[in-house]
Amino acid sequence: MAYDRRQADVVAPKDVGGGAQYTDYRLEVGRALVPVGVPRGFNVLDERTAATLRGWVECLIPARDGRPSAAEVGAAEYIDATVDSASNLREPLLRAIDRLQELAGEAGGFASADLAARTRAVRALELDDTSGGFDMVRDFTYEAYYAHPAVLASLQRDLSWDGVAPTRGSDMEPFDEGLLQRVRALPRRYKEVR
Amino acid sequence: MSAEPADVLVVGAGGAGAVIAKRLAEHGAEVVCVEQGDWVDREKLPKAHVDWEVRGRRYWAPHPNVRRWPSDYPVASFGDNPIDVYIYNAVGGSTIGFAGNYWRFAPSDFRMRTLDGVGVDWPLRYEELEPFYDVNEREVGVAGLIGDPCGPPRQPTLLPPAPVGRPGRLLIDGYEKLGWYWWPTEQAITTVPYDGRQACDHRGYCPFGCPQASLGTADVTYWPKALELGVRLITNARVRSLTLDSRGRAQGAVYYDSEGRIQEVTARVVVLCGGGLGTPRLLMLSDSSRHPNGLANSSGLVGKNLIVHVQSFAVGRFEDPVEGWHGTWGGTVSTRQFYETDQARDYVRGFIMSGCAGYSPLNLALQLAPWGQEHHEVLDRYLNHEICMYLCGDDLPEEVNRVELDWEHRDRWGMPGVKTFYRLGENSQRLGEDMIRHAHQVLEAAGATSVRDFGLSPIWGWHLMATARMGDDPASSVVDRYNQAHDVPNLYIADSSSLPTGGGVNPTSTIQALAARCAEHIWEVRRDWRGDH
Repeated sequence: MAYDRRQADVVAPKDVGGGAQYTDYRLEVGRALVPVGVPRGFNVLDERTAATLRGWVECLIPARDGRPSAAEVGAAEYIDATVDSASNLREPLLRAIDRLQELAGEAGGFASADLAARTRAVRALELDDTSGGFDMVRDFTYEAYYAHPAVLASLQRDLSWDGVAPTRGSDMEPFDEGLLQRVRALPRRYKEVR
Repeated sequence: MSAEPADVLVVGAGGAGAVIAKRLAEHGAEVVCVEQGDWVDREKLPKAHVDWEVRGRRYWAPHPNVRRWPSDYPVASFGDNPIDVYIYNAVGGSTIGFAGNYWRFAPSDFRMRTLDGVGVDWPLRYEELEPFYDVNEREVGVAGLIGDPCGPPRQPTLLPPAPVGRPGRLLIDGYEKLGWYWWPTEQAITTVPYDGRQACDHRGYCPFGCPQASLGTADVTYWPKALELGVRLITNARVRSLTLDSRGRAQGAVYYDSEGRIQEVTARVVVLCGGGLGTPRLLMLSDSSRHPNGLANSSGLVGKNLIVHVQSFAVGRFEDPVEGWHGTWGGTVSTRQFYETDQARDYVRGFIMSGCAGYSPLNLALQLAPWGQEHHEVLDRYLNHEICMYLCGDDLPEEVNRVELDWEHRDRWGMPGVKTFYRLGENSQRLGEDMIRHAHQVLEAAGATSVRDFGLSPIWGWHLMATARMGDDPASSVVDRYNQAHDVPNLYIADSSSLPTGGGVNPTSTIQALAARCAEHIWEVRRDWRGDH
C-alpha cells in the first residue's frame, strides 16, 4: 500500500512495451541492492565520467541551509554501484553522461562549469533524453539522498520528521475511547440480510 | 511416486494455505504443502534497515516484474485500465507485504445479486462464516474495538486498537464536524504482547516488513504452529501441474524443485491456494484430455471475473506539522459511512475510507519534488504536512476482466507467465469518483488546505479475487459452497480466487476465515477421502 507512484505503470515484463531505445530501470534493479550511506568509490566510471556524474547529481539536489547536496552524500558513487550490479543500466548512464558533456560544450567541460551552467545543461538533457538515463539518474539520486542518515538527521532538525522511527519504533498515546461517544450512540449502520 | 500419499496436499503457503495446513494438522491430518517461494529472511525485511525505502523499491518491490525473485513469474497487464499487480511469492504469500487492514465483510456483501440486482450472491451467508472469523481472528491477533455499528455484534476477540496519533486525531475532527460515522481501523497487528509475539512499537509503513512480527503475516501467525503440528512444508517447489488418477480424482502435483528437477507429491485431497493469479494459472496449466480447457473449468470461468477493488489514495496538506511518520501505516481511523447501497447515489454498493500516516521522504520526493533549486522548498512544504487516506470500494464481477496464460513471458523453469485484462466498469467508475469526492470532503473538514488524489487508473493490484469463484451452480461457478471443485470431488480451491465478490474492504480477513471453514469441511468429510470416522 505504501509505495511510490513512480513505481507504477509496470504493466509488462521487461521485453514488452516502451520505445526500443528506452531502458526502464525499474525492471533491472530488483536484484541490485546497494546499501545507502556506505562510503564507496567508483567501480564503473573513470575519473572524467565520475566527475561529470558528481556535478550532475549536485544539480539535481543542491545543498541548502545546512542540508547537504546529493553529491556530498555519495549519490554519484551509489549510482555507479547500482549500474555495477545491473549491467543493462551501464549503457543508458554512460550515454547520458556523454550527452551531458556535449551539451556543456567545450569550454572547460561539464564538471568544471558553475552550478547555473551545469543546471542549464541538465535541463537540456532532460528535454533531449530518450534513453531513460535521465529518469534513472534522477530517481537513483533521490534514493541515495533520502535514505542517507545525514539527510534524515537534517529532516528531523528542520521538519521534525523522525526518519529513524520506522526502524527504531516510537512511543504513542493509546487510543482514547471517549472520542467515540457520539458514534457509539449512532443507530446500526449495516444492512440486515434475511 | 515413491512415498505413501499424504492426507492433504496444500499448494501455496500464503495466507489461505497457511490456515488450511495448520487447521487440518491440528485435527490430525497428515499435511504436506508445496510453496514456490522461500521463507523471508527477516534480516532482509526493509524496515530492519535505515534505507528501508530504497529496499522497498528493489528486492521488496511489490511488482514481481520489478522484484524478480526466483519464485516470481512474469505478469503482463492489458485492458483499458491495466492493473499494477502486487503479489509476493513466498511463505506467507502476499500477506508479507500487506498493511494489515483486517475488516470482516458486511452481511450485505454476501447478497449482492439479491439486494442490488448485480453480480452474484455468495452460496453462504455472513452468519455461516462468522464462527470462522472468530477462530481466525484469535489466531492472527486483531486490533480493534467491539461495538462497531457497521457490523453485527460479535465475540470480544479483539486486541486494543492501535494508537491513532495526530493524523488520526485530525481525521476524527473532520468526521465529527461532518457528523459521519468513524471507527478505529481493525488491523492484524498485535498492539499488546499476544501469543508469543511482541507488541507493535509503532514503526509504521507496515508493508515494508515488520521486524517486531507484530503484523499478522502468515509466516509469523499460522506457519510456526503448523510446522510444530508436523506439517511438511516444501519451499522452492514450483508446481507444474496438478495430477489426476485414472478415475479423474486429484492425485497430487508435479513440481520443479529448487534445482529444476521434476518431483511429484501425492495426497488424498488437494487444496489449491495460489491466489487470484496463481490459482487460475495452475488450473489452466493442468489441462488434459479430460479437462481440455483447464482443470475444474467446465464452466469456462477459471480466470474470469477478476475483481481488484476500486482503489485510490487522497492526500490532504495541513499548514501545521502532522507527525506523519507516527503510527501504523494501514489505518488510523476509518469510515464506512458510504458502505451500503444508497438509492440516492448513481451506483450500487459502497466503499471504505481508511486514514493512514503521511508519505515518507523518498516516496514523497519521487511524487512531488522537482529536481534543482526548488527541490528543498517543495519537499519542505509537503513532508510532515500531509495525511493519506486509503480508499477501497466494491468492484462488480465482469467476465471481460480476466487472467490468461502468457506464453511469451516465462518463469525460470520455462512455464508461462500471466496476462491480466481489466477495465473499470461503469458502476466501479462512478463509485470511485464519488469515493474520491468524499475523501476530499473529509480531509477538508479535518483542516487540509489542499487535497490531491491518485484518481482511478492505473489500478492498484493488491486485491486479486474471484478467478475461480464459488457458487451452487456448476455452470456459473468453479467451486461449491465448501470450496470444493464442481468437476473434481477431492480438489478444493480455498483462496482469494474463490470469493464470488470482494466486498468494499481489504479481503484478507475473509479469505482466511473462508479457508478455516474449508479446512473444517475437509475434516468433516474425511470418511470420503480417508475412509475412517
